[in-house]
Parts: sequence; structure tokens; C-alpha cells
Amino acid sequence: MMTKLINPFHYIAGAKSLVWGLLIILVTSVIGYYSHTHFPDVISVKTCPELPVFYFILQGLLNWFVPATLFYGVALLFSTSAVRAIDIYGTQAFARAPYLVASLMGFFGVLEKFGKHIMWSLLHYGEPVEISLLEMAGAIGIMVLTLLLTIWMITLMLHAFKVSANLKGGKLALIFIGVLIASMVITALLIGVLIKTL
Amino acid sequence: MRKKLPVICPSCNSGLKVNSLHCDTCETTISGLFELPVLLQLDPKEQEFVLNFVISSGSLKVMAEKLKLSYPTVRNMLDELIHKIKTLQSHDD
Repeated sequence: MMTKLINPFHYIAGAKSLVWGLLIILVTSVIGYYSHTHFPDVISVKTCPELPVFYFILQGLLNWFVPATLFYGVALLFSTSAVRAIDIYGTQAFARAPYLVASLMGFFGVLEKFGKHIMWSLLHYGEPVEISLLEMAGAIGIMVLTLLLTIWMITLMLHAFKVSANLKGGKLALIFIGVLIASMVITALLIGVLIKTL
Repeated sequence: MRKKLPVICPSCNSGLKVNSLHCDTCETTISGLFELPVLLQLDPKEQEFVLNFVISSGSLKVMAEKLKLSYPTVRNMLDELIHKIKTLQSHDD
């Protein structure tokens, strides 16, 4: 059971994972549109104002396509196995499954209220916002859950790359960290440009 | 009970060789010093993998379906096996 949660790619890859992964990205984007939750780079989860639905779909696709393309490139360079593009793109798409749950985050208005409360109480910015202890506990709970979902997604991305590219040990760790950081920078820039054009 | 063919010496960890062969029918025993073929030096699971691979006409896709594993997982298993066979061959040479 644990293997299936952490490394489902032992059992699923290729076209099957690509179809499921793209479906997950699409559903996540639609939920994000209604809950006002967006993913401004590969791993970030934030609430946002009302934006057109195509923005959510495009950012979902960018957050999958950019790291997958980088992973494919480095796999061709460093792996001695016959790496298939469909495995890299498919497993990376499927690895975004935890953010389907994260996209529900925006439905809980308490998070926005908590953010405004922090801004007012600590930075003396904006209107005074009072928050109850229960609301505060709820907001912290959601933030912890989001952090766990992020850790889960990164673990899935690592295993997706490990299985698809057949890399191990220090080489795998270094390449993965490098690609993840590069992906975060590239997607943040591209999604930033996308928001400005809206 | 199916006995496992020992390929490593339990005393010094060196590779074992065949010292005698016996015919159950006529009770003939042949003594000598024979190298174990590379395939027999693989562990039973690896030998089973090789057999399944041949039976599947060398198709990793068919193997993946049979084993209920993903294609890259089976390809990685095969790559590890290739690496092991190459290492055993270089030891034998």
C-alpha cells in the first residue's frame, strides 16, 4: 500500500499514466478556477483573485511540461537505459495528483482571513481583521496539509524520474534537485508573464 | 522441496565450480572441474526473468503485462540483469 502511494510508477507508466495525469491536471485546474487556488510555479500553492479558466489550465500544463521536458533532457544525457519520452511525461503528469486535493484549499475562506490577520497584526498593513482561535487552528491545519501534499508530490516526482530514467544514488539526487530548482524558476517566470498578459 | 543451486562458496565467497556429475539411471559419476555457465550463476528469480523474457519473444511490453509492472520497471530489471551478466562474463574471462 505504501509503495503504491509513494512509488505508483512501479506499476503505472507510459500512455496510461499520461492520460490519467492530464485528466488530473485538467480537473485540478477547473477546481482551482472555482476555489481561486493557483500554482504560480511547480510546487507553490496560493489563493488568487478571479482569473479566466484558461489561465488555470495553462499554468497546470506549464507546471507539468517544463519539469518533464527538463527531466527528459537530463535523462537522455545521464541515463544508460533506453529512456522513453512517454514514461517521463506520463509519470510526471501523474505525479501532480496530490495537487488535486491542494486545489480545494481555496474553498476554505479562513485561509485568506488568516493571511489578512497576519498582515494586520504583524505588519500593520490593511484593515484590522479579528480571527477566532478555531479559525486560526483551521487555517494552520490547512497549511500543514498543503505542506504534506507538497512533500508527497515532490516524492512522487522523484520516483517518477527514478523509474523512468533508471538513475540511482547521488547522481539521481543531484540531477533531481537541479531540475526541480530550474523548473521552479522557469515556471515562475512563465506564469508571471502569463498573469501580466491577462 | 526444490533445492537451490549454490554458486558462491559459503567459506570464502569465491565462485563455485562443478566437481562431479551423476547419472541417476546407471549410477555413473563423472568427476572433473567444470565452470558453471553464466545463466546458472544467476539467482532463481533472475533465471525465471530470463525464461519469461525468452517466452515473451523478448517483448518488455508483454513482460510488463504478465508481471503487472510498468514498462520502465521491467526495463530497469533487464538493465540490472544485463549489468550482472556482463560482470559475471568478465569474471569468467
